[in-house]
Amino acid sequence: MEQIVFGIGITALTGALATVAGAAEDTESNIGSQGDPNSQVQLAPQMGFLHRIFNKAVAGEPPAYGLWCCLGAGLAWAFMAMQFNAVLAIVLGSVLATFVQGVYATTAYVGRTASLSKFGQPVYVDILKSMTTVTMAHAFIAIFATVALCQLINGALGHPFPLPLLGLIWGIALGAAGSATGNPYYGKERQYQNQKFGAGVPISASGNIVRYAEAGERNSLDNGWFTTKIGGSAAGVCFGLIVFLELWRTVLFDKVSAGWGAIVVGVLMILVFTVVDRYIEVWARKNYGPYTEAKEVSS
Amino acid sequence: MTAVAAKPQAGSAMNPTAMAVGVVLLLIILAICWYVSPGIGFMALIAVIIGGVLIGFGTHFVPVGGAPAAMGQAPGIATGVAMLAAGAGLAGLFGGAWAAAAGQDTIVVIVSGGVGGGLMMAITCMMVNFVYVFGMGIPSASGKVAKDPITGDTQAEFKSQGTEGHGLPFVSFVGGVIGGFLGGAGGTLIYLALLKLYKATLPSVMGVTAAQVMPIAISAAGIFAVGLFLVNAVLTAYNITGTIEGPHDPKFKRWPRAIVASAVASALCGLVAVLIVAW
Repeated sequence: MEQIVFGIGITALTGALATVAGAAEDTESNIGSQGDPNSQVQLAPQMGFLHRIFNKAVAGEPPAYGLWCCLGAGLAWAFMAMQFNAVLAIVLGSVLATFVQGVYATTAYVGRTASLSKFGQPVYVDILKSMTTVTMAHAFIAIFATVALCQLINGALGHPFPLPLLGLIWGIALGAAGSATGNPYYGKERQYQNQKFGAGVPISASGNIVRYAEAGERNSLDNGWFTTKIGGSAAGVCFGLIVFLELWRTVLFDKVSAGWGAIVVGVLMILVFTVVDRYIEVWARKNYGPYTEAKEVSS
Repeated sequence: MTAVAAKPQAGSAMNPTAMAVGVVLLLIILAICWYVSPGIGFMALIAVIIGGVLIGFGTHFVPVGGAPAAMGQAPGIATGVAMLAAGAGLAGLFGGAWAAAAGQDTIVVIVSGGVGGGLMMAITCMMVNFVYVFGMGIPSASGKVAKDPITGDTQAEFKSQGTEGHGLPFVSFVGGVIGGFLGGAGGTLIYLALLKLYKATLPSVMGVTAAQVMPIAISAAGIFAVGLFLVNAVLTAYNITGTIEGPHDPKFKRWPRAIVASAVASALCGLVAVLIVAW
Protein backbone atom coordinates (compact mmCIF):
# COMPACT_ATOMS: atom_id res chain seq x y z
CA MET A 1 0.00 0.00 0.00
CA GLU A 2 2.78 2.38 0.98
CA GLN A 3 4.47 1.61 -2.32
CA ILE A 4 1.32 2.50 -4.27
CA VAL A 5 0.84 5.78 -2.39
CA PHE A 6 4.47 6.63 -3.04
CA GLY A 7 3.98 5.78 -6.72
CA ILE A 8 0.88 8.00 -6.97
CA GLY A 9 2.77 10.88 -5.36
CA ILE A 10 5.64 10.54 -7.81
CA THR A 11 3.15 10.24 -10.67
CA ALA A 12 1.48 13.49 -9.64
CA LEU A 13 4.86 15.21 -9.41
CA THR A 14 5.91 13.99 -12.86
CA GLY A 15 2.57 15.14 -14.27
CA ALA A 16 3.15 18.61 -12.82
CA LEU A 17 6.71 18.73 -14.18
CA ALA A 18 5.45 17.61 -17.60
CA THR A 19 2.84 20.38 -17.61
CA VAL A 20 5.54 22.97 -16.93
CA ALA A 21 7.77 21.38 -19.58
CA GLY A 22 5.02 21.42 -22.20
CA ALA A 23 4.14 25.07 -21.59
CA ALA A 24 7.82 26.16 -21.62
CA GLU A 25 8.54 24.09 -24.74
CA ASP A 26 5.72 25.63 -26.73
CA THR A 27 6.59 29.17 -25.68
CA GLU A 28 10.26 28.58 -26.50
CA SER A 29 9.43 27.21 -29.93
CA ASN A 30 7.01 30.07 -30.64
CA ILE A 31 9.57 32.72 -29.72
CA GLY A 32 12.04 30.94 -31.98
CA SER A 33 9.40 30.20 -34.68
CA GLN A 34 10.60 26.60 -34.55
CA GLY A 35 7.37 24.79 -35.36
CA ASP A 36 5.67 24.57 -38.72
CA PRO A 37 4.80 28.32 -38.70
CA ASN A 38 8.49 28.96 -39.45
CA SER A 39 7.55 28.37 -43.09
CA GLN A 40 5.63 31.66 -43.05
CA VAL A 41 8.43 33.54 -41.29
CA GLN A 42 10.81 32.27 -43.96
CA LEU A 43 8.34 32.96 -46.76
CA ALA A 44 7.40 36.52 -45.75
CA PRO A 45 10.58 38.30 -46.99
CA GLN A 46 10.28 36.40 -50.28
CA MET A 47 6.82 37.95 -50.70
CA GLY A 48 8.20 41.41 -49.90
CA PHE A 49 7.27 41.50 -46.19
CA LEU A 50 10.48 42.18 -44.24
CA HIS A 51 10.14 41.52 -40.50
CA ARG A 52 11.85 41.33 -37.13
CA ILE A 53 10.64 37.84 -36.17
CA PHE A 54 13.19 35.40 -34.76
CA ASN A 55 13.51 32.17 -36.74
CA LYS A 56 15.73 29.40 -35.45
CA ALA A 57 14.11 26.41 -37.13
CA VAL A 58 16.48 23.96 -38.74
CA ALA A 59 14.83 20.87 -37.25
CA GLY A 60 11.35 20.03 -36.07
CA GLU A 61 10.61 20.42 -32.38
CA PRO A 62 10.53 16.66 -31.63
CA PRO A 63 14.08 15.85 -32.84
CA ALA A 64 15.43 19.10 -31.39
CA TYR A 65 13.94 18.37 -27.97
CA GLY A 66 14.94 14.73 -28.30
CA LEU A 67 18.52 15.94 -28.67
CA TRP A 68 18.46 18.51 -25.88
CA CYS A 69 16.64 16.34 -23.34
CA CYS A 70 18.83 13.34 -24.19
CA LEU A 71 21.89 15.53 -23.82
CA GLY A 72 20.68 16.98 -20.52
CA ALA A 73 19.76 13.52 -19.21
CA GLY A 74 23.03 11.98 -20.39
CA LEU A 75 25.12 14.68 -18.75
CA ALA A 76 23.07 14.50 -15.56
CA TRP A 77 23.57 10.74 -15.55
CA ALA A 78 27.33 11.21 -15.97
CA PHE A 79 27.44 13.75 -13.13
CA MET A 80 25.49 11.36 -10.91
CA ALA A 81 27.99 8.62 -11.77
CA MET A 82 30.64 11.07 -10.49
CA GLN A 83 28.76 11.11 -7.15
CA PHE A 84 27.15 14.52 -7.69
CA ASN A 85 23.90 15.18 -5.85
CA ALA A 86 21.00 14.27 -8.20
CA VAL A 87 19.42 17.76 -8.14
CA LEU A 88 22.75 19.45 -8.85
CA ALA A 89 23.52 16.91 -11.58
CA ILE A 90 20.17 17.54 -13.31
CA VAL A 91 20.63 21.32 -13.09
CA LEU A 92 24.18 21.11 -14.50
CA GLY A 93 23.13 18.70 -17.26
CA SER A 94 20.23 20.97 -18.22
CA VAL A 95 22.44 24.07 -18.21
CA LEU A 96 24.95 22.44 -20.57
CA ALA A 97 22.16 21.21 -22.86
CA THR A 98 20.74 24.76 -22.84
CA PHE A 99 24.08 26.12 -24.07
CA VAL A 100 23.90 23.69 -26.97
CA GLN A 101 20.39 25.01 -27.65
CA GLY A 102 21.80 28.56 -27.60
CA VAL A 103 24.48 27.70 -30.16
CA TYR A 104 21.87 25.97 -32.29
CA ALA A 105 19.51 28.97 -32.08
CA THR A 106 22.26 31.44 -32.98
CA THR A 107 23.58 29.56 -35.99
CA ALA A 108 20.06 28.72 -37.15
CA TYR A 109 18.88 32.35 -37.03
CA VAL A 110 21.99 33.71 -38.73
CA GLY A 111 22.01 30.97 -41.35
CA ARG A 112 18.31 31.09 -42.18
CA THR A 113 18.15 34.86 -42.28
CA ALA A 114 21.37 35.22 -44.29
CA SER A 115 19.83 32.96 -46.93
CA LEU A 116 17.15 35.65 -47.38
CA SER A 117 19.64 38.45 -48.10
CA LYS A 118 18.72 38.48 -51.79
CA PHE A 119 15.21 39.56 -50.73
CA GLY A 120 16.63 42.39 -48.59
CA GLN A 121 15.96 40.77 -45.18
CA PRO A 122 18.60 42.02 -42.70
CA VAL A 123 20.11 39.97 -39.86
CA TYR A 124 19.23 42.02 -36.76
CA VAL A 125 21.96 41.73 -34.14
CA ASP A 126 19.72 43.17 -31.40
CA ILE A 127 17.10 40.52 -32.19
CA LEU A 128 19.78 37.83 -31.98
CA LYS A 129 20.96 39.14 -28.60
CA SER A 130 17.57 39.64 -26.99
CA MET A 131 15.66 36.64 -28.38
CA THR A 132 18.32 33.95 -28.04
CA THR A 133 18.65 34.40 -24.30
CA VAL A 134 14.89 34.29 -23.81
CA THR A 135 14.56 31.07 -25.80
CA MET A 136 17.46 29.64 -23.79
CA ALA A 137 15.69 30.49 -20.54
CA HIS A 138 12.51 28.75 -21.69
CA ALA A 139 14.50 25.82 -23.06
CA PHE A 140 16.21 25.42 -19.69
CA ILE A 141 12.84 25.16 -17.93
CA ALA A 142 11.58 22.62 -20.46
CA ILE A 143 14.78 20.53 -20.40
CA PHE A 144 15.13 20.66 -16.61
CA ALA A 145 11.51 19.62 -16.05
CA THR A 146 11.80 16.78 -18.58
CA VAL A 147 15.09 15.45 -17.24
CA ALA A 148 13.75 15.70 -13.67
CA LEU A 149 10.65 13.69 -14.58
CA CYS A 150 12.83 11.11 -16.36
CA GLN A 151 14.95 10.80 -13.22
CA LEU A 152 11.80 10.30 -11.13
CA ILE A 153 10.51 7.66 -13.57
CA ASN A 154 13.87 5.87 -13.56
CA GLY A 155 14.94 6.31 -9.94
CA ALA A 156 11.68 6.35 -8.00
CA LEU A 157 9.29 4.35 -10.19
CA GLY A 158 11.91 1.88 -11.43
CA HIS A 159 11.54 2.08 -15.21
CA PRO A 160 14.22 -0.15 -16.80
CA PHE A 161 15.43 2.36 -19.44
CA PRO A 162 18.57 4.33 -18.52
CA LEU A 163 18.21 8.09 -18.00
CA PRO A 164 19.60 9.22 -21.42
CA LEU A 165 17.23 6.92 -23.32
CA LEU A 166 14.28 8.16 -21.26
CA GLY A 167 15.43 11.71 -22.04
CA LEU A 168 15.39 10.92 -25.77
CA ILE A 169 11.96 9.26 -25.66
CA TRP A 170 10.22 11.90 -23.54
CA GLY A 171 12.05 14.71 -25.36
CA ILE A 172 10.63 13.51 -28.69
CA ALA A 173 7.18 13.03 -27.12
CA LEU A 174 7.41 16.53 -25.57
CA GLY A 175 8.24 18.08 -28.94
CA ALA A 176 5.49 16.08 -30.66
CA ALA A 177 2.81 17.08 -28.15
CA GLY A 178 3.98 20.69 -27.92
CA SER A 179 4.20 21.25 -31.66
CA ALA A 180 0.91 19.46 -32.39
CA THR A 181 -1.02 21.53 -29.87
CA GLY A 182 0.80 24.83 -29.96
CA ASN A 183 1.64 25.31 -33.65
CA PRO A 184 -1.85 26.20 -34.95
CA TYR A 185 -2.30 28.85 -32.30
CA TYR A 186 0.97 30.56 -33.19
CA GLY A 187 0.73 29.94 -36.92
CA LYS A 188 -2.85 30.98 -37.49
CA GLU A 189 -3.94 33.04 -34.52
CA ARG A 190 -0.83 35.13 -33.95
CA GLN A 191 1.01 35.36 -37.25
CA TYR A 192 -2.23 36.00 -39.14
CA GLN A 193 -4.03 38.27 -36.68
CA ASN A 194 -4.88 40.42 -39.71
CA GLN A 195 -7.11 37.63 -41.06
CA LYS A 196 -10.67 36.86 -40.01
CA PHE A 197 -11.14 35.18 -36.63
CA GLY A 198 -12.82 31.79 -36.78
CA ALA A 199 -11.58 30.77 -40.21
CA GLY A 200 -8.43 29.27 -41.65
CA VAL A 201 -5.88 31.45 -43.41
CA PRO A 202 -6.67 31.58 -47.16
CA ILE A 203 -3.79 30.09 -49.11
CA SER A 204 -3.55 33.33 -51.12
CA ALA A 205 -2.60 35.20 -47.91
CA SER A 206 0.49 33.04 -47.28
CA GLY A 207 3.52 35.06 -46.31
CA ASN A 208 1.57 38.18 -45.31
CA ILE A 209 2.30 37.80 -41.60
CA VAL A 210 1.61 40.58 -39.09
CA ARG A 211 4.79 42.61 -38.71
CA TYR A 212 3.73 45.60 -36.62
CA ALA A 213 2.87 45.80 -32.94
CA GLU A 214 1.02 48.46 -30.92
CA ALA A 215 4.19 50.55 -31.07
CA GLY A 216 6.90 49.84 -33.58
CA GLU A 217 7.64 46.53 -35.21
CA ARG A 218 6.52 43.27 -33.70
CA ASN A 219 9.20 40.89 -32.46
CA SER A 220 9.13 37.36 -31.17
CA LEU A 221 8.85 38.31 -27.51
CA ASP A 222 5.40 39.70 -28.35
CA ASN A 223 4.58 36.37 -29.96
CA GLY A 224 5.76 34.44 -26.90
CA TRP A 225 3.64 36.64 -24.64
CA PHE A 226 0.54 36.09 -26.79
CA THR A 227 0.82 32.35 -27.36
CA THR A 228 1.61 31.53 -23.73
CA LYS A 229 -1.98 32.24 -22.80
CA ILE A 230 -3.68 29.49 -24.80
CA GLY A 231 -1.18 27.67 -27.02
CA GLY A 232 1.41 27.29 -24.24
CA SER A 233 -1.10 26.26 -21.59
CA ALA A 234 -2.78 23.79 -23.95
CA ALA A 235 0.58 22.24 -24.85
CA GLY A 236 1.38 22.00 -21.13
CA VAL A 237 -1.93 20.33 -20.33
CA CYS A 238 -1.46 17.96 -23.29
CA PHE A 239 2.01 16.77 -22.29
CA GLY A 240 1.06 16.75 -18.60
CA LEU A 241 -1.93 14.51 -19.32
CA ILE A 242 0.14 12.17 -21.49
CA VAL A 243 2.83 11.66 -18.83
CA PHE A 244 0.46 11.59 -15.86
CA LEU A 245 -2.10 9.18 -17.32
CA GLU A 246 0.51 6.86 -18.82
CA LEU A 247 2.25 6.55 -15.45
CA TRP A 248 -0.96 6.51 -13.43
CA ARG A 249 -2.49 3.57 -15.30
CA THR A 250 0.76 1.61 -14.99
CA VAL A 251 1.51 2.39 -11.33
CA LEU A 252 -2.01 1.66 -10.12
CA PHE A 253 -3.26 -1.11 -12.41
CA ASP A 254 -0.16 -2.93 -13.67
CA LYS A 255 -0.56 -5.65 -11.03
CA VAL A 256 -4.27 -6.20 -11.73
CA SER A 257 -5.02 -9.37 -13.74
CA ALA A 258 -1.38 -9.87 -14.81
CA GLY A 259 -1.13 -6.54 -16.61
CA TRP A 260 -4.56 -6.56 -18.33
CA GLY A 261 -5.80 -4.07 -15.71
CA ALA A 262 -3.53 -1.32 -17.04
CA ILE A 263 -4.56 -2.15 -20.61
CA VAL A 264 -8.30 -2.00 -19.82
CA VAL A 265 -7.87 1.30 -17.99
CA GLY A 266 -5.84 2.65 -20.92
CA VAL A 267 -8.58 1.66 -23.39
CA LEU A 268 -11.23 3.23 -21.15
CA MET A 269 -9.25 6.48 -21.04
CA ILE A 270 -8.96 6.44 -24.84
CA LEU A 271 -12.76 6.04 -25.03
CA VAL A 272 -13.25 8.96 -22.63
CA PHE A 273 -11.01 11.20 -24.76
CA THR A 274 -12.87 10.02 -27.87
CA VAL A 275 -16.19 11.11 -26.36
CA VAL A 276 -14.72 14.46 -25.28
CA ASP A 277 -13.26 15.02 -28.75
CA ARG A 278 -16.58 14.22 -30.42
CA TYR A 279 -18.37 16.57 -28.02
CA ILE A 280 -15.95 19.40 -28.92
CA GLU A 281 -16.42 18.72 -32.64
CA VAL A 282 -20.22 18.68 -32.45
CA TRP A 283 -20.24 21.73 -30.17
CA ALA A 284 -18.24 23.68 -32.75
CA ARG A 285 -20.52 22.61 -35.61
CA LYS A 286 -23.61 23.69 -33.67
CA ASN A 287 -22.30 26.95 -32.26
CA TYR A 288 -20.16 28.26 -35.08
CA GLY A 289 -22.39 27.13 -37.89
CA PRO A 290 -21.40 26.46 -41.49
CA TYR A 291 -19.46 29.00 -43.56
CA THR A 292 -21.59 28.31 -46.62
CA GLU A 293 -24.90 26.65 -47.45
CA ALA A 294 -24.77 22.87 -47.30
CA LYS A 295 -24.54 21.31 -50.72
CA GLU A 296 -23.60 17.96 -52.19
CA VAL A 297 -19.98 17.94 -53.29
CA SER A 298 -17.89 15.25 -54.81
CA SER A 299 -14.41 14.87 -53.43
CA MET B 1 4.07 23.44 -55.39
CA THR B 2 2.94 23.54 -51.78
CA ALA B 3 1.77 20.54 -49.83
CA VAL B 4 -1.73 22.01 -49.97
CA ALA B 5 -1.76 22.39 -53.72
CA ALA B 6 -0.38 18.90 -54.36
CA LYS B 7 -2.99 16.52 -55.70
CA PRO B 8 -1.48 13.08 -55.39
CA GLN B 9 -2.82 10.37 -57.60
CA ALA B 10 -3.45 7.77 -54.98
CA GLY B 11 -2.14 4.30 -55.59
CA SER B 12 -1.25 5.00 -59.20
CA ALA B 13 2.49 4.98 -58.63
CA MET B 14 2.76 1.32 -57.68
CA ASN B 15 5.86 -0.09 -59.36
CA PRO B 16 5.77 -3.92 -59.63
CA THR B 17 9.46 -4.16 -60.54
CA ALA B 18 10.52 -2.17 -57.49
CA MET B 19 8.22 -4.25 -55.30
CA ALA B 20 9.75 -7.46 -56.70
CA VAL B 21 13.27 -6.13 -56.11
CA GLY B 22 12.25 -5.27 -52.55
CA VAL B 23 10.97 -8.77 -51.90
CA VAL B 24 14.15 -10.31 -53.34
CA LEU B 25 16.28 -8.04 -51.13
CA LEU B 26 14.21 -9.10 -48.14
CA LEU B 27 14.76 -12.78 -48.93
CA ILE B 28 18.52 -12.21 -49.34
CA ILE B 29 18.75 -10.49 -45.96
CA LEU B 30 16.72 -13.28 -44.35
CA ALA B 31 19.02 -15.85 -45.92
CA ILE B 32 22.11 -14.08 -44.59
CA CYS B 33 20.60 -14.00 -41.11
CA TRP B 34 19.63 -17.68 -41.35
CA TYR B 35 23.23 -18.49 -42.30
CA VAL B 36 24.80 -16.37 -39.52
CA SER B 37 22.38 -17.03 -36.68
CA PRO B 38 19.75 -19.63 -37.62
CA GLY B 39 18.03 -19.93 -34.25
CA ILE B 40 17.36 -17.05 -31.92
CA GLY B 41 18.86 -14.41 -34.22
CA PHE B 42 16.59 -15.38 -37.12
CA MET B 43 13.52 -15.33 -34.90
CA ALA B 44 14.52 -11.88 -33.62
CA LEU B 45 14.88 -10.62 -37.18
CA ILE B 46 11.41 -11.91 -38.10
CA ALA B 47 9.95 -10.09 -35.08
CA VAL B 48 11.85 -6.91 -36.02
CA ILE B 49 10.43 -7.06 -39.56
CA ILE B 50 6.88 -7.56 -38.28
CA GLY B 51 7.35 -4.70 -35.80
CA GLY B 52 8.77 -2.44 -38.52
CA VAL B 53 5.87 -3.21 -40.85
CA LEU B 54 3.39 -2.44 -38.05
CA ILE B 55 5.08 0.93 -37.51
CA GLY B 56 5.16 1.71 -41.23
CA PHE B 57 1.51 0.74 -41.70
CA GLY B 58 0.42 2.50 -38.50
CA THR B 59 2.03 5.78 -39.53
CA HIS B 60 -0.39 5.94 -42.51
CA PHE B 61 -3.27 6.36 -40.04
CA VAL B 62 -1.77 9.34 -38.20
CA PRO B 63 -3.46 12.55 -39.44
CA VAL B 64 -0.71 15.07 -40.07
CA GLY B 65 -1.15 18.32 -41.95
CA GLY B 66 2.36 19.76 -41.66
CA ALA B 67 2.89 23.50 -42.16
CA PRO B 68 -0.48 24.21 -43.86
CA ALA B 69 -2.28 22.78 -40.83
CA ALA B 70 -0.50 25.31 -38.61
CA MET B 71 -2.23 28.09 -40.57
CA GLY B 72 -5.60 26.35 -40.59
CA GLN B 73 -5.17 25.78 -44.34
CA ALA B 74 -5.35 21.98 -44.27
CA PRO B 75 -6.74 19.38 -41.87
CA GLY B 76 -4.55 17.32 -39.60
CA ILE B 77 -2.09 17.85 -36.81
CA ALA B 78 0.38 20.67 -37.40
CA THR B 79 3.67 18.81 -37.17
CA GLY B 80 5.78 16.29 -39.07
CA VAL B 81 4.42 12.79 -39.81
CA ALA B 82 7.53 10.96 -38.72
CA MET B 83 7.93 13.01 -35.58
CA LEU B 84 4.36 12.69 -34.37
CA ALA B 85 4.30 8.98 -35.10
CA ALA B 86 7.62 8.62 -33.29
CA GLY B 87 6.34 10.61 -30.31
CA ALA B 88 3.29 8.37 -30.00
CA GLY B 89 5.13 5.14 -30.69
CA LEU B 90 7.92 5.91 -28.25
CA ALA B 91 5.39 6.72 -25.54
CA GLY B 92 4.03 3.25 -26.28
CA LEU B 93 7.50 1.70 -26.21
CA PHE B 94 8.00 3.31 -22.80
CA GLY B 95 4.89 1.57 -21.47
CA GLY B 96 5.71 -1.72 -23.15
CA ALA B 97 9.26 -1.78 -21.79
CA TRP B 98 7.90 -1.14 -18.30
CA ALA B 99 5.44 -4.01 -18.61
CA ALA B 100 8.27 -6.24 -19.91
CA ALA B 101 10.41 -5.37 -16.90
CA ALA B 102 7.53 -6.34 -14.62
CA GLY B 103 7.70 -9.83 -16.17
CA GLN B 104 4.32 -9.68 -17.94
CA ASP B 105 3.24 -12.04 -20.68
CA THR B 106 4.45 -11.16 -24.21
CA ILE B 107 0.96 -10.40 -25.52
CA VAL B 108 0.26 -8.16 -22.51
CA VAL B 109 3.53 -6.29 -23.07
CA ILE B 110 2.83 -5.67 -26.78
CA VAL B 111 -0.80 -4.62 -26.22
CA SER B 112 0.31 -2.42 -23.34
CA GLY B 113 2.78 -0.68 -25.66
CA GLY B 114 0.03 -0.23 -28.23
CA VAL B 115 -2.40 1.24 -25.71
CA GLY B 116 0.32 3.65 -24.53
CA GLY B 117 0.76 4.92 -28.11
CA GLY B 118 -3.00 5.11 -28.66
CA LEU B 119 -3.51 7.03 -25.42
CA MET B 120 -0.82 9.57 -26.38
CA MET B 121 -2.51 10.14 -29.73
CA ALA B 122 -6.00 10.35 -28.20
CA ILE B 123 -4.88 13.08 -25.79
CA THR B 124 -2.95 14.95 -28.48
CA CYS B 125 -5.78 14.82 -31.05
CA MET B 126 -8.32 15.93 -28.45
CA MET B 127 -6.14 18.88 -27.43
CA VAL B 128 -5.60 19.84 -31.09
CA ASN B 129 -9.36 20.08 -31.59
CA PHE B 130 -9.63 21.94 -28.28
CA VAL B 131 -7.21 24.61 -29.49
CA TYR B 132 -8.87 24.88 -32.92
CA VAL B 133 -12.38 25.18 -31.49
CA PHE B 134 -11.92 27.12 -28.25
CA GLY B 135 -8.69 28.97 -29.06
CA MET B 136 -9.29 29.88 -32.68
CA GLY B 137 -13.03 29.43 -33.21
CA ILE B 138 -12.54 27.05 -36.15
CA PRO B 139 -14.66 23.88 -36.58
CA SER B 140 -13.20 20.69 -38.06
CA ALA B 141 -13.58 20.01 -41.76
CA SER B 142 -12.00 17.46 -44.05
CA GLY B 143 -10.73 18.47 -47.46
CA LYS B 144 -10.64 14.97 -48.91
CA VAL B 145 -14.15 13.57 -48.34
CA ALA B 146 -17.64 15.05 -48.59
CA LYS B 147 -18.85 13.20 -45.50
CA ASP B 148 -17.05 11.84 -42.46
CA PRO B 149 -17.03 8.05 -43.09
CA ILE B 150 -17.75 7.31 -39.41
CA THR B 151 -20.18 10.00 -38.27
CA GLY B 152 -21.65 10.94 -41.64
CA ASP B 153 -21.16 14.66 -40.92
CA THR B 154 -20.99 16.76 -44.06
CA GLN B 155 -17.68 18.58 -44.43
CA ALA B 156 -17.75 21.05 -47.33
CA GLU B 157 -19.85 23.79 -45.70
CA PHE B 158 -17.54 23.89 -42.66
CA LYS B 159 -14.49 24.52 -44.81
CA SER B 160 -13.53 28.20 -44.64
CA GLN B 161 -12.87 30.08 -47.84
CA GLY B 162 -9.55 29.50 -49.56
CA THR B 163 -8.54 26.50 -47.45
CA GLU B 164 -8.45 22.74 -47.86
CA GLY B 165 -10.20 22.24 -44.51
CA HIS B 166 -8.91 22.39 -40.94
CA GLY B 167 -8.89 20.69 -37.55
CA LEU B 168 -9.43 17.00 -36.99
CA PRO B 169 -12.69 15.44 -38.18
CA PHE B 170 -13.73 12.41 -36.12
CA VAL B 171 -12.36 9.90 -38.63
CA SER B 172 -8.93 11.53 -38.34
CA PHE B 173 -9.10 11.24 -34.54
CA VAL B 174 -9.88 7.54 -34.82
CA GLY B 175 -7.08 7.14 -37.38
CA GLY B 176 -4.64 8.83 -35.01
CA VAL B 177 -5.51 6.44 -32.17
CA ILE B 178 -5.19 3.39 -34.46
CA GLY B 179 -1.85 4.69 -35.78
CA GLY B 180 -0.55 5.28 -32.26
CA PHE B 181 -1.67 1.79 -31.24
CA LEU B 182 0.02 0.05 -34.18
CA GLY B 183 3.19 2.12 -33.75
CA GLY B 184 3.43 1.48 -30.02
CA ALA B 185 2.80 -2.25 -30.48
CA GLY B 186 5.35 -2.50 -33.31
CA GLY B 187 8.04 -0.63 -31.40
CA THR B 188 7.47 -2.78 -28.33
CA LEU B 189 7.66 -5.99 -30.40
CA ILE B 190 11.05 -4.90 -31.78
CA TYR B 191 12.26 -4.05 -28.29
CA LEU B 192 11.10 -7.38 -26.86
CA ALA B 193 12.69 -9.43 -29.66
CA LEU B 194 16.05 -7.69 -29.40
CA LEU B 195 16.01 -7.76 -25.59
CA LYS B 196 15.49 -11.53 -25.66
CA LEU B 197 18.31 -11.92 -28.18
CA TYR B 198 20.76 -9.75 -26.24
CA LYS B 199 19.90 -11.31 -22.89
CA ALA B 200 20.69 -14.72 -24.36
CA THR B 201 23.84 -13.88 -26.31
CA LEU B 202 25.58 -10.92 -24.68
CA PRO B 203 26.84 -12.76 -21.54
CA SER B 204 28.95 -15.15 -23.66
CA VAL B 205 29.99 -12.42 -26.15
CA MET B 206 31.18 -10.07 -23.39
CA GLY B 207 32.25 -12.71 -20.90
CA VAL B 208 30.13 -11.34 -18.04
CA THR B 209 27.23 -12.63 -15.96
CA ALA B 210 23.59 -12.40 -17.00
CA ALA B 211 22.86 -9.86 -14.26
CA GLN B 212 25.71 -7.59 -15.33
CA VAL B 213 24.58 -7.62 -18.94
CA MET B 214 20.99 -6.52 -18.27
CA PRO B 215 21.54 -2.71 -18.38
CA ILE B 216 23.48 -3.06 -21.65
CA ALA B 217 20.88 -5.40 -23.17
CA ILE B 218 18.00 -3.08 -22.20
CA SER B 219 19.81 0.02 -23.49
CA ALA B 220 20.89 -1.57 -26.78
CA ALA B 221 17.43 -3.03 -27.46
CA GLY B 222 15.81 0.30 -26.57
CA ILE B 223 18.11 2.30 -28.83
CA PHE B 224 17.57 -0.09 -31.75
CA ALA B 225 13.80 0.11 -31.20
CA VAL B 226 13.93 3.94 -31.25
CA GLY B 227 16.14 3.88 -34.36
CA LEU B 228 13.90 1.43 -36.20
CA PHE B 229 10.94 3.56 -35.28
CA LEU B 230 12.43 6.61 -36.94
CA VAL B 231 13.51 4.62 -40.03
CA ASN B 232 10.01 3.28 -40.65
CA ALA B 233 8.18 6.48 -39.78
CA VAL B 234 10.38 8.51 -42.16
CA LEU B 235 9.90 5.96 -44.96
CA THR B 236 6.15 6.32 -44.58
CA ALA B 237 6.45 10.10 -44.51
CA TYR B 238 8.03 9.89 -47.97
CA ASN B 239 5.32 7.50 -49.16
CA ILE B 240 2.53 9.93 -48.26
CA THR B 241 4.58 13.00 -49.30
CA GLY B 242 4.55 14.57 -45.87
CA THR B 243 0.85 14.96 -45.12
CA ILE B 244 -2.19 12.73 -44.79
CA GLU B 245 -5.64 13.20 -43.29
CA GLY B 246 -6.05 9.66 -42.02
CA PRO B 247 -7.51 6.37 -43.28
CA HIS B 248 -10.07 8.17 -45.48
CA ASP B 249 -7.38 10.05 -47.42
CA PRO B 250 -6.78 8.69 -50.96
CA LYS B 251 -3.05 8.63 -50.15
CA PHE B 252 -3.77 5.90 -47.61
CA LYS B 253 -4.12 3.45 -50.52
CA ARG B 254 -0.38 3.66 -51.07
CA TRP B 255 0.27 1.51 -48.00
CA PRO B 256 1.33 -1.68 -49.84
CA ARG B 257 4.38 0.16 -51.16
CA ALA B 258 5.34 1.23 -47.65
CA ILE B 259 4.87 -2.29 -46.30
CA VAL B 260 7.51 -3.67 -48.68
CA ALA B 261 9.86 -0.74 -48.05
CA SER B 262 9.43 -1.02 -44.27
CA ALA B 263 10.04 -4.76 -44.38
CA VAL B 264 13.29 -4.36 -46.34
CA ALA B 265 14.55 -1.43 -44.25
CA SER B 266 13.65 -3.15 -40.97
CA ALA B 267 15.31 -6.36 -42.17
CA LEU B 268 18.53 -4.54 -42.99
CA CYS B 269 18.60 -2.64 -39.68
CA GLY B 270 17.55 -5.78 -37.82
CA LEU B 271 20.37 -7.72 -39.48
CA VAL B 272 22.86 -5.20 -38.08
CA ALA B 273 21.24 -5.59 -34.64
CA VAL B 274 21.66 -9.36 -34.91
CA LEU B 275 25.20 -9.24 -36.32
CA ILE B 276 26.59 -7.26 -33.37
CA VAL B 277 26.07 -10.31 -31.17
CA ALA B 278 26.13 -13.16 -33.68
CA TRP B 279 29.34 -12.57 -35.52
